[in-house]
Amino acid sequence: MIEELKNTFDKFNKKISIKDKIVHTRLDNFNAFAKIGFPGKSLEDWKFSNFNKIISKFKNIRVNLEEKIELEFNNFITEFEHNKIVFVNGFYNKHSFEYENEDKIVFDFLKNGPAYKASGNNSLNLLNNAFFTDGLLLNVKEGYSFQKPLIVYNVFKANKNNNFFNHKLIINVEKNANLELVNNNINLNSEPIFLNTSNFFHVEKYAVLKLFQINHLNNQDLNYNLNDATVLENGVFENFILTCNNEFFKNDVFCFLKENYSSGFINGCILANNNEEHEIKTFTKHIGESTKSYQKVKSVLDKNSKSIFQGKIYVDSHAQKTDGYQLSKAIILDQNSEFDSKPELEIYADDVKCSHGSTSGNLDENAIFYLMSRGLSRSDARKLLIKGFLEDVIETITSEKIKKYFSKRLSILLNEYR
Amino acid sequence: MLKINNLSAKIENKQILNGLNLNVKAGEIHAIMGPNGSGKSTLANILSGKKGYEISGSITYQDKDLFKLEIEERAHNGLFLAFQYPLEIPGVNTSNFLKTSLNAIRKSNGKKELDALEFLKIIKLKAAELKIDEKILNRQLNVGFSGGEKKKNEILQMSLYEPNMVILDETDSGLDIDALKIVANGVNSLRDKKRSFLIITHYQRLLDYIKPDFVHVLMQGKIAKTGCSDLALELEKAGYEKI
Repeated sequence: MIEELKNTFDKFNKKISIKDKIVHTRLDNFNAFAKIGFPGKSLEDWKFSNFNKIISKFKNIRVNLEEKIELEFNNFITEFEHNKIVFVNGFYNKHSFEYENEDKIVFDFLKNGPAYKASGNNSLNLLNNAFFTDGLLLNVKEGYSFQKPLIVYNVFKANKNNNFFNHKLIINVEKNANLELVNNNINLNSEPIFLNTSNFFHVEKYAVLKLFQINHLNNQDLNYNLNDATVLENGVFENFILTCNNEFFKNDVFCFLKENYSSGFINGCILANNNEEHEIKTFTKHIGESTKSYQKVKSVLDKNSKSIFQGKIYVDSHAQKTDGYQLSKAIILDQNSEFDSKPELEIYADDVKCSHGSTSGNLDENAIFYLMSRGLSRSDARKLLIKGFLEDVIETITSEKIKKYFSKRLSILLNEYR
Repeated sequence: MLKINNLSAKIENKQILNGLNLNVKAGEIHAIMGPNGSGKSTLANILSGKKGYEISGSITYQDKDLFKLEIEERAHNGLFLAFQYPLEIPGVNTSNFLKTSLNAIRKSNGKKELDALEFLKIIKLKAAELKIDEKILNRQLNVGFSGGEKKKNEILQMSLYEPNMVILDETDSGLDIDALKIVANGVNSLRDKKRSFLIITHYQRLLDYIKPDFVHVLMQGKIAKTGCSDLALELEKAGYEKI
C-alpha cells in the first residue's frame, strides 16, 4: 500500500510544489511517513484502534488535484450569523469576513507554500505535511476580537479520482485578541473519504481561542484530526468536539500550557453507532505556573460501536499550582459496544491539584420507568436521558449561540437512536 | 374508578401481595397504612406498571384491564403515581421535562400541545398556588433537591397533569410540617367528585390534613382491616400488632 502511495505522491508533488525547496520538504515528510507507516496497535497512542485494518479498505488512495470544481456551496449554518471560509475538495473556494474589520486580520491560503518540516513521529501528521493541498493561515491582530464566529466549511464531493484529502489550519491569535472558530467538515457524496487534518494554534498573552468541531460526514468516512495548541500567559484555548456518523474518527489534541496562568479546556460528546469507532485523545502539558486544564468527554455507544478516551495530563516540575481536572463517562446501549478509557497523570510538581475519573454503564431502568410513568414513551424517555447525559458537556461551551446550536444538533442526532 | 381483585404478586419467589381486594370509586380518598414490608410500595409499583413482578388477579381501571396498558399509557389515561423516592435525572431541565411530559399526555388525549409560553403561564400559576418556589423549574430534574423539594415537585406534577387517579406512595415520609401542608394542600385542591386518591402512608400525621373516606390496613399482602378515618388514630395509639 505504501509503495502505491509513493507513486501517487511523486505525481502529486510534481504537480503541486512550485519551488524546489517545497518539493524536498514534502518528500522528506513522505519518506519519514513511509519509514513508520500507518500507526499500528503496537504504538501506545494507538493501542485501542486497529487503524491498519481500517485504512486497508481504502485500497486505492487517490489524491485530489483538481482545483476547479463545479460546486456552488451555499448550505451555510443559519442558526447564527458568522464569517465564513469555504474549501471544496481541499482547495480554497470562497470566503466572507463581512462582520469584521479586515485591517485587523491577516489571512492567506497554503496552496503555494510554505512547506512544513518533517519532525516528530506522528506518521499521519507527516503524511499531511507531504500531501496537504491547501489550508488556512490566519492571524488575528493584537487586541482585536472577532465580532462573529468564523466557520470553516470543509466541503467534499469525492469522485472516482479522489478520496484522500489533507488540510491544515494554522492560526495565531495575538495578544488580547479573541476568536471563535467552528470547523465543519461536510461530505456531500456517498463516496467514502479519508480526511487527514493537522491544525496548529498559537494563543498569545491574554488571548482567547475557542475551537468548535462538527462533522457532517458519512458512515464510511475516516477522519484523523490533529489539534496542536500552544498557549501563552493568561491565554485560553477552548476546544469542543461533537463526533457522529463517520466510521472512524480520531481527534488528537495537544495542549501546551507554556506560560503562567494559561488554560486549556478540551470537551467532547461522542455519538458512536453502527460499527463506528470514535476517539478523543488529549495530551495537556502544564509548563507554566498556575495553569489550568479541564477535560470532560462523554460517549453514547450503540450497535457494535467503540469509543476511546485517552487523556494525559503532564505537570512539569516548574508548573506549581496546576489545576487539572479530567472526566470521561460512557453510556453503553448494547451488548457489543466497547468503551476504552485511559486516564494518565504524570506529575513532577508538588503543589498541584489534579483529579480524574471514568465511568461506564447502561441507562438507569428506574429513571426510564420514572419518565414513562409521566407519559413519555420508552424511546423518548431514553432519548431524554441520553440528551441529559450529554447536555452536561454542551454546558461547558462558553459561547451562548454556539451552545444553543450544538444542543439543537444533538437533539437531531439523537432522533436516530432507539 | 379502580377495582383490584384478588391481587397477588411475587418477586424473586417472595410472596408480597396475597389476594388483595380494593375498590376505589370516583371522588373517594382511600388511605392505606401498614407496617414495613406489608406490600404498600409493591402495590403502588404494580399500579404504575413497574416490571419484574409475577402477578395474578386483576385490576380494572376506568373499566379497562390495567395490565394491558403500558406504563406511559397509564399516565395518558390519567393515572399518576407520586414516587416515594423520585429519581434524579441529571442534565434534564425540570421545566423542559414538565412541558415534555404534559404535552405527551395532552397529545395522547387529542389535545393541542402547549408552546413554551403557554406552558410557562400554567406552571407558574400552579407553583404559586401550591406555594412552591419556581426556582426549582430551572434546575436539573430532582438533582440536588432536598427530600422536601423532591416531594413538592411530585405534587407539582400531580397538579399539572390533573390526573383522574392519584397514588401517593409515602409522599409524607421525611417531610417537615410546612412541606406536609403543601402536599396536603395540593391533594385537597384537586379533590373533586371525579378524581380519586390512594394515599399510602406510614403515619397518621398526613391524615390530619387530608380526611380520607376509608382507611385500610395492609398486612402480609392483603387488607386486614378497613374503617373510617378514626382507624388511623387508633393505629397511631395501639400500633399494628393488635390488628
